[in-house]
Amino acid sequence: MGNPVNMTNHKPKQSADSSAGAIIEETPLIAGNHTFSSITEKISGVIEGPTPKMWWVLFSFSVSLLLILVGSVGFLIWEGTGIWGLNSPVGWGWAIVNFVFWVGIGHAGTLISAVLHLFRQKWRTSINRFAEAMTIFAVICALLFPTIHVGRIWVLYWFFPIPNQMSMWPNFRSPLLWDVFAVSIYFTVSLLFWYVGLVPDIATLRDRAKTRGKKIIYGILSLGWRGANRHWRHYELGYLILAGLSTPLVLSVHSVVSTDFATSIIPGWHTTIFPPYFVAGAIFSGFAMVMTLAIIARKAFGMEEFITVNHLEKMAKIIMVTGLMVGYAYSIEFFIAWYSGNDYERFTFINRALGPYAWAYWIMVSCNVIIPQFFWSKKLRTNVTVLFILSIFVNIGMWFERFVIITSSLSRDYLPSSWDYYSPSIWDIATFVGSFGLFFTLFLLFLRFLPMISMAEVKGVLPQADPHHPMYQKSGEAHENK
Amino acid sequence: MTSRSENTYMMPANNYGKLAIVIALIGILLSTFGFVKDPGQFFHSYLVAYVFWVTISLGALFFLLMHHVTGAFWSVSLRHVVESIVATIPLMAILWIPIGFGIHDLYHWSHESVMASDKLLAAKAPYLNTTFFVIRTLIYFIIWGFISYKLRSLSKRTKSNNDILSMRKVSAVGTVFYALTVSFAMFDWLMSLDPHWYSTIYGVYLFGGAYLNGIAMVILVIAALKSLNLLTTEVTSEHYQDLGKLLFGFVVFWAYISASQYFLIWYGNIPEETIWFKRRWEGTWKAFSLSMIAVGFIVPFFALMFRAAKRNLVFLSSICLLLFVAHWMDMYWNVMPGFHRGNVSLSWIDLSTMVALGGLFFWTVWRSLASRSLIPLNDPYLNKSISHKNF
Repeated sequence: MGNPVNMTNHKPKQSADSSAGAIIEETPLIAGNHTFSSITEKISGVIEGPTPKMWWVLFSFSVSLLLILVGSVGFLIWEGTGIWGLNSPVGWGWAIVNFVFWVGIGHAGTLISAVLHLFRQKWRTSINRFAEAMTIFAVICALLFPTIHVGRIWVLYWFFPIPNQMSMWPNFRSPLLWDVFAVSIYFTVSLLFWYVGLVPDIATLRDRAKTRGKKIIYGILSLGWRGANRHWRHYELGYLILAGLSTPLVLSVHSVVSTDFATSIIPGWHTTIFPPYFVAGAIFSGFAMVMTLAIIARKAFGMEEFITVNHLEKMAKIIMVTGLMVGYAYSIEFFIAWYSGNDYERFTFINRALGPYAWAYWIMVSCNVIIPQFFWSKKLRTNVTVLFILSIFVNIGMWFERFVIITSSLSRDYLPSSWDYYSPSIWDIATFVGSFGLFFTLFLLFLRFLPMISMAEVKGVLPQADPHHPMYQKSGEAHENK
Repeated sequence: MTSRSENTYMMPANNYGKLAIVIALIGILLSTFGFVKDPGQFFHSYLVAYVFWVTISLGALFFLLMHHVTGAFWSVSLRHVVESIVATIPLMAILWIPIGFGIHDLYHWSHESVMASDKLLAAKAPYLNTTFFVIRTLIYFIIWGFISYKLRSLSKRTKSNNDILSMRKVSAVGTVFYALTVSFAMFDWLMSLDPHWYSTIYGVYLFGGAYLNGIAMVILVIAALKSLNLLTTEVTSEHYQDLGKLLFGFVVFWAYISASQYFLIWYGNIPEETIWFKRRWEGTWKAFSLSMIAVGFIVPFFALMFRAAKRNLVFLSSICLLLFVAHWMDMYWNVMPGFHRGNVSLSWIDLSTMVALGGLFFWTVWRSLASRSLIPLNDPYLNKSISHKNF
């Protein structure tokens, strides 16, 4: 990128010049004059070096939160969902809010690894690995909530269409069942995608491993990868196919989640814009989470040269775009509720903005619609501190979005005599906080044992990955007649 | 960089423009006769034709906005082609006028007596009234006209990165306005045909069709230019493939959005919503609805899946023509079931209005193409765009 040789008419090995805006944005994707070997040293070094003290501090903290989760889920299974703040009109409380929140977070990983790959966005290589890891851990957290919400967790297998002597079949017309399929397919494909991408890097770790134990474990996980030409060809093709398979999943999973609400006839839930609106919201919240984690990780492990401000700025732009889409959906919903002339529809939205949950509604609007507008300014979206703070606001806002949708519609539906105000119990809060423990425990383990940035892919976007790079001009005549 | 001279990239004299205007005149003549004979049918046919063509110009406008916002370079050599389609927006503003005259034939809500006797409609009166309707349409065209004028005039003098950055800025802000105005235009012109019915996704749904067919039009104009032996090396199968990918993506998007709309209404099963689909499920409308799925989704989905298909201009163009058929069906399907209850009833005026507007559309596109070089010669990305390769 940015070198004059790329301007001529040729086909570089990985079409390194195909990322958009190469002439305007001269800044290389990877800063700091890295070479192939320095990248390996830097990224593997995090795993091979001694465990930082800070890691232990964070890990202990996360495990403590995880124990809160284990405790509160244990008590829930013992006692039943009565320990939550659920009441008669509000049968879905924080548990479903958290479910949608975590599934949404997961979407950024798939978008970065699959959609941006298909769009030839080379900058994704610095962030895709841990964004994908984040996806998997977020989906694990998400799956937890409906699982424990069913109450009788020991008959959970009834969800699956398993032939049995009781002739019990799940209701295929229930969106909750679609969730089971959608989210578990999503989890499986994301895991595969992540793992396929990891194979070359695990092989690097295997080759560098000093102890026998590490050699064996990384050796098994790297599936006999030797970096041969044939291996790379199959890898690239497999990666492209997985990217193609994951792309519809980016849309389908959150669309299915949105049908949990939209197939009902509750005002505020039953509205046709829900599927694309939920997808946009999911990408929005996911990118905010990637941003939050990326800023912490690059600081903590000194990865500023790989995850540059350029990367963060691009993420900020995606957050802004998806934030605008979410804002569009809020406004259209509001307008159509009025336009419908239907008293119930109109009431629901006025109730959201002015009723007992107005505080939550305005937190949502401020965090999701107003805050991302700061990203119009280049100065703000290239300021790491600002990005960090704003990304946390977006995370908060997107949690509140789900809270507003679920609670405000349920607590005041058609019959005023059945209205009730919902507030969470201590167990709701403990479970939610605990889910962050699960998420961060897994994430910290990942940072410790697997390369957080894809070494192989980052090397591919270096200028010297181009066989026509001036570096090869003296010695490498062989490349000319390929 | 190879230098290219302005003259070699001007469109040589040809008969396409003349042909288009002759066809337009025949269409206008026949349509006028249709108007005299059956105004109700005329206005509905006219609306179908109008939304068909206006969504294509708006789709091309979105193509242009995205080209600038994303800083894409591969589509630089197509930019003047896209801009020539966008140049039809002022024409579309003028062609809206007959709809203004047909307002009482088309829109029930424009009759005050109807509004007064219906509680639900009375509640919408502040929005659905003739004056505000016309004002809104005027606002939409002012916004679209301004964006397209600004982008075209900046494009004329594109030399440096700064010019590109200023187009990017206009497009970023323009996209926000575009999203809102297109949605509301579709609520106004199409959704309010059945003033009781509402759907929050409706704007996104029509946008999906608009962008899809905007891309298709770009491909067809390129095919027309290629038939004159123009742009032989500047637009290559690499560009077709990328256009084909976009086309494929938005075939799926359109299907996804329309299926979401149908599915949620079907599942909710609330009469005030299902009535809209019920009208499209009666008599021969059912067959019409089902064939639209085949023509608009199933066939193009499988056809565009193959790399070779996307790289062959003849094949790609025929898929685009098929998508135009689907788009026309889609527009017809949105407008007509309220007018022809129970069964599809095709009229020759449907054809004459399509031909009239289509002729004018192509004539405008062609004039715009002839007015300057076919590719942006001074754009710093031009060479990069021409030598663009898919991986």
